Amino acid sequence: MAYSEKVIDHYENPRNVGKMDAEDPDVGTGMVGAPACGDVMRLQIKVNEQGVIEDAKFKTYGCGSAIASSSLATEWMKGKTLDEAETIKNTQLAEELALPPVKIHCSVLAEDAIKAAVRDYKQKKGLI
Amino acid sequence: MGTPCHFALFNLQPGFRLDLEQLAVRYRELAREVHPDRFADASEREQRVALENSAALNDAYQTLRSAPRRARYLLAISGHEVPQEVTVHDPAFLLQQMELREELEELTDLDGVAVFKKRLKLAQDTLFEEFAACWDDAAQREQAERLMRRMQFLDKLAQEVRQLEERLDD
Repeated sequence: MAYSEKVIDHYENPRNVGKMDAEDPDVGTGMVGAPACGDVMRLQIKVNEQGVIEDAKFKTYGCGSAIASSSLATEWMKGKTLDEAETIKNTQLAEELALPPVKIHCSVLAEDAIKAAVRDYKQKKGLI
Repeated sequence: MGTPCHFALFNLQPGFRLDLEQLAVRYRELAREVHPDRFADASEREQRVALENSAALNDAYQTLRSAPRRARYLLAISGHEVPQEVTVHDPAFLLQQMELREELEELTDLDGVAVFKKRLKLAQDTLFEEFAACWDDAAQREQAERLMRRMQFLDKLAQEVRQLEERLDD
């Protein structure tokens, strides 16, 4: 399958690959998987006192579209508040990366990872 | 009349435990019987039916020989259809999957791969046992579905192990 240039760019030069200390009280971790293709995605955020995402990291084992979706998600999340980050939609990720219909689920996985990371952070802080 | 169950095509009772070698033998026998070439001189309608039978047999075989697909099919015929594309939140298991993939990335020789494969096989066998023990219990459907999803991840991991083996073997 032909990948779009943006997918290839993120795949070859993924942004923000890495790991944060999941035990850090200021870090939220989202761990999600897509069983049909076996993709595993970890997305982490570090949030400051103002509730702004200072840093975001990811690690994804999966296809190019899954890697690109999570890479782009971390780029978009940085500098956003938690509430703003939660409004990021898979359709926006898919559109930006020009994902074909069969790869839309990769962007859904990234959106679910964002939500899981935000939820994990909020739970740690007793916000939900 | 609906489509016969995949298991019935092979004269088997629905179940998770399956002798794959026996299944393969039976598949080859049946495939010969329904092969469209045998109907080359038959009517158009018979040819079409032969083609459909052959496709159904193939589909059934591919479903039954794969553990995660067989598991998903068993859940479906017991009235618990689960979608193909879904996001799984199973943190401890996913973390383990991530660590296993990291370990796999570090492997550089076939001996290391062989050890890894043994561990993977053990993990798969444990899952198979657990699934076989609970899939037909309606009260344990959620657990059965979780186990089926885990099988899917391990199946993918096994594919990656095979690919690495081929690369190292060259």
